[in-house]
Amino acid sequence: MAPPTPEAEAHQILIDQLDIHAIPKPFRSAHWKPNQRRNKNIKTIIGDVIRKEASTMATQDNSGAVTPLPDDSVTSTDGDITPAVSTASATLQPNLAQASRNLSKLVLERNMKSSGFSSAPTATYTNIESAPSMAHNKHYCDITGLPAPYTDPKTRLRYHNKEVFGVIRTLGQGVAEQYLEARGAHTILK
Amino acid sequence: MAPSATEPVAPSFDRQSPIPPPQLYPVREAHFEQYPEPQRPDGYRTAVRRNDAAIVIDNGSSACRAGWSFENKPRLNVTPIFSKYRDRKLGKTYSFVGQDVLSDTTARGHMRNAFEAGTGIVSNWDVMESLLDYTFIKMGVDSSEGVNVPIVMTEAVANLAYSRKSMTEIMFECYNVPSLSYGIDSLFSYDYNNGKTGLVVSSSHSSTHVIPVLNSKAILTQATRLNWGGSQSADYLLKLIRLKYPTFPGKLNASQAEHMVRDHCYLSQNYDQEIAGYLDWEGLEDRDRVIQYPFVEEVIIQKSEEELAKIAERKQESGRRLQAQAQKMRLEKLVQKEQELEYYRDLQSRLVDQTKKEIKRLLDDEEMKDEAALERTIKELDKSIRKQRIKDVGGPEIEEEVEEPDYSLLDTPDDQLDEAGIKAKRHQRLMKSNNEARARAKAEKEREKARIAEEQRADEERRENNLEGWLQDRRSARAEIIQKMKDRDRLKADLGNRKSLASQIRMKSIANLASDAPTKKRRRGNDDDNFGANDDDWGVYRQIATGDGSDDEEEEDFGAGLKTLEADLLKYDPEFTDQHTLDAQTDWTKSLVHAFLRGPRPFDPKSQGEAHQLHLNVERIRVPEVIFQPAIAGLDQAGLIEIAADILTTRLNNNPNQGDFLKDIFLTGGHSQFQNFDERLREGLRGYLPAGAPVAVRRAKDPILDSWKGAARWAGSEKWKSSQITRADYLEKGAEWFKEHDLGNAYS
Repeated sequence: MAPPTPEAEAHQILIDQLDIHAIPKPFRSAHWKPNQRRNKNIKTIIGDVIRKEASTMATQDNSGAVTPLPDDSVTSTDGDITPAVSTASATLQPNLAQASRNLSKLVLERNMKSSGFSSAPTATYTNIESAPSMAHNKHYCDITGLPAPYTDPKTRLRYHNKEVFGVIRTLGQGVAEQYLEARGAHTILK
Repeated sequence: MAPSATEPVAPSFDRQSPIPPPQLYPVREAHFEQYPEPQRPDGYRTAVRRNDAAIVIDNGSSACRAGWSFENKPRLNVTPIFSKYRDRKLGKTYSFVGQDVLSDTTARGHMRNAFEAGTGIVSNWDVMESLLDYTFIKMGVDSSEGVNVPIVMTEAVANLAYSRKSMTEIMFECYNVPSLSYGIDSLFSYDYNNGKTGLVVSSSHSSTHVIPVLNSKAILTQATRLNWGGSQSADYLLKLIRLKYPTFPGKLNASQAEHMVRDHCYLSQNYDQEIAGYLDWEGLEDRDRVIQYPFVEEVIIQKSEEELAKIAERKQESGRRLQAQAQKMRLEKLVQKEQELEYYRDLQSRLVDQTKKEIKRLLDDEEMKDEAALERTIKELDKSIRKQRIKDVGGPEIEEEVEEPDYSLLDTPDDQLDEAGIKAKRHQRLMKSNNEARARAKAEKEREKARIAEEQRADEERRENNLEGWLQDRRSARAEIIQKMKDRDRLKADLGNRKSLASQIRMKSIANLASDAPTKKRRRGNDDDNFGANDDDWGVYRQIATGDGSDDEEEEDFGAGLKTLEADLLKYDPEFTDQHTLDAQTDWTKSLVHAFLRGPRPFDPKSQGEAHQLHLNVERIRVPEVIFQPAIAGLDQAGLIEIAADILTTRLNNNPNQGDFLKDIFLTGGHSQFQNFDERLREGLRGYLPAGAPVAVRRAKDPILDSWKGAARWAGSEKWKSSQITRADYLEKGAEWFKEHDLGNAYS
C-alpha cells in the first residue's frame, strides 16, 4: 500500500477531530434505549392517528360499557373524519380504546366550549393546509416561462411563440414529460 | 397575443463594436469551513447557577440555532444533517453533524436530514438525537447527570402529537432536562418585534405560514400553511436549470440552487408585465445573470518562434533528403535507360547486314517480334530519356509532335493483307474509334458551355427588359427552396415519430421490398416484377434511408442554390437587404431561445468557459413568484395573497379587531427576504380590501435570527415559568402532555 500523502494525513486528522462518535457524552443517560421503530414519516403518523380515532369512535358509541358522551364525538374528531352516527350494526367490543382517551383533553374541550371557541375545530397539521386556489390559473410557457397563448396538443406543453414550438418539436423522448412534471401536469401511472 | 407581436426586437447595437465581457458570478454552495471549537463550559456554569436561564434551540429545518437565553445571539448555527459510517480499514465508526458532514466525500455520501423533506416535521430521530448531542457538546455541557438547564425549543405550527411526544421523551429520558417548553418560531419572532395584534406571514425553509395574532395570542384555528418555502424554491430552480441545460457539464446540486435563489432572485412587483418583456433586447444585459462554474480551459500549447523555426527547419531537412534520394534514383534509372538505348541502337546497327534468319534469331533473343517492334522500343526509350533530362535539368518543354494517326490500312480489304497487316489494321481501327469518341465528347462539352452561356445571356436580357418579372422568378425560386428545406426538416421530424404518416409509409415500402410473397402481378403469370426498369424505382431506397448521409447531396444543393439566388436578389432587388437573407433571419440575435439560454451575447460552443456558464434570467422572477401563484410549480394550493385575504376578509370578518390585523402585517422567515416581498403583499391585498383600507406591511428586523432572540427573551419571563413542562409533569402525565401558552401550539 502506498504511504499516505501529507494531504490525506491532514484530512484524516481533521475528520478525526470532527468526529463526534468517539467523543464522550456524559450528559446522556446510560439507560436511554430508544424505540427501534421510532422514525416515522408524516403519512404514517397521520394514518396511525386516523386509525386510532376511528377505533375510538366505534367502541365508544356502541360498547354501552361507559356512559356515552353525546356531544363529545364532534369536537374530538379534529375534523379529520366524519363523526360516526350510532349504528346498531356494530358488535359489542371490549372497550380497549377508551383507555387511550385523554381525560385532560376532554376537560380542555369542555373549557374551550364555554369560552366561546366551540365552533372551530382545533388546528391540526393536516387541516391548516391551504385549500386549492379559487383564482384562474394563468398560463406560462413551459420552456421559457413567458406568457403562453398556445398549447401543443401532442405534448400538452404550453408555449410562447413558434420558435419555442420548434424547440418543443425537437425535444427528445420523455423530455416533454419532465417539463410537464415541473408544472405538476405530468401523467402518473399507478 | 399574436406570435409576431412577441418576436424580439432587432438588436440595437452594432454587431462589430466590441462588447464588454459579461459580469460573471461564481457558483456558490454550502461547504465545510473549519473545525468549530467546542465552547468553554463557562456558559453552562452560568446557566446552572442562574435560575432563569435556559438553553434556547430554534429547531428549524434550514438550521438549528442554539444558545443561552441570557446572551443576545445564538452560539451555534447547525445545518440539521448527520452522517454516520464505518471505516472498515480503520475499524472505526465516524459520525458528523452539520457542516462537518461536507468535509469528507464518504461522509457526504451518507448524509441524512433530520426533517422530512419539504416539511418542518422531524422524522429521523437518530439524526435529531445526534444533532442535540452535537449542540450540547459544542455548548460546553459537561455534567454527568444530564443537561441541567431548562430547554426552550421551537416547533412547527400544529406539530404532530407523535413528533412532539418523541422529542419530549428524548429530552427527559436521554438528556434528563429539568424542564422543557415549546413554542412556534414565527410567533417568537413577532413577539420579539413587539407585535400585539396582526397577521404573521412567515415564509421559511420548508413552508409558509399565515397566522393571525390577537392581543399577543395566536388564533391557531385560523392559521394556514402553504407548502412552499426556500427548499422548494431551490428544488424548483434546480429542476428548471436541468431542463434548460440538459447537457450541462458541471455538477448541479440543491445547495447551489439555494444560493442562486438567495443571491439572484427577486419578486416582481408586476409579474405579468415584467415577465412578458423579460427576454427583450432592451436591458437584457442587466436582467441576465451569468453563473460561472469552475472549468478547465483546454490547453493549447503555444510554441515559441524559435521552436516553430526549428520544426520548419527539420521538415525542410527531411524534405531535402527525400528529394536527394529521389534524384539519385532517377539518375540511376536514366543511366540504365541510356545503356538500354545504347544496346538497342547497337543491335539495330548489327541487324543491317544480316540474313533474315540471323535477324530472327537475334530478335527472338530479345523477345522482340520484328524490326518494327524494335524501332518502337527505341523510340519510346529515346522519348522518355529526353523527357527526364528536361525534368532534371529544367530545360524548356518540347512540344510533343502530334502524329496524325495513320489510318491507311482501314480502307484496304482484309484479303489483300497478310497476317501482320490485319493486325495493324485492327490496331488502327481501335485508335480511330478512340479518337472519334474523344472528339465527340469535346464537342458535347462545347455545346453545353454554349448552352449555358446562351441561357445566361437570355437571363440577363430578361433582367434588363423585365426586371420585375425576373425578380419575381427569383423570389419564388427562393421561396420554393426554403419551402423544400422546411419540408425536408418536417419529414425528418416526422420520421422520428413512429406513428406519423411519413414513418408508416416508409415502413410499408421496406416491408414491400423485403417481402418474398408474390404480388398480384406475379401471380398472373408475369414472373418479373419489373423493378428497376424505370430509373425512378430506385428512389425508394432514398426514401427509406434515414439518418446520416441519407440526403447529404440534396442539402448541399439547397444551401448553394439559396446562396446564389440570394446573391442575385441582393444585387438587383432594392427591397431585398442583408436583413432579409435566411442567414440573417435565423441569426442568434433574432432568437428568443438564444436570449433565454445564452443571454445577449453570441455563444461559442468551443469555449469551455461559456459551456460552464448558466444564464439566469426569467428564473430570477419565475421562482419566487410561485409563492404568489403556486400553480406555476404545480402546487394545488391558493397563493399567499389569496390565503391572507381569505383570513382577513372571510374568516375574521365578524371580528371587531379586523382593522387592527391589517395595520400590522408582519413578515418573517428566511424565504421572505426577497426584494419587493412586502410591496407585493401590500399591493396584492389591496385588491381584496375595501378602498382606502389601511394596510401596513413590515419586516422583522432580522427575519432569520429573531425567532431565536424572541424565544431567548421569552425564556426568562413569568409566562415561560408557567408554561414549562417539568420533570414531575412528564413523569405524571406522560410524553404527549404539554402546556399551552400564547406563543405555542394548541393542545389537542
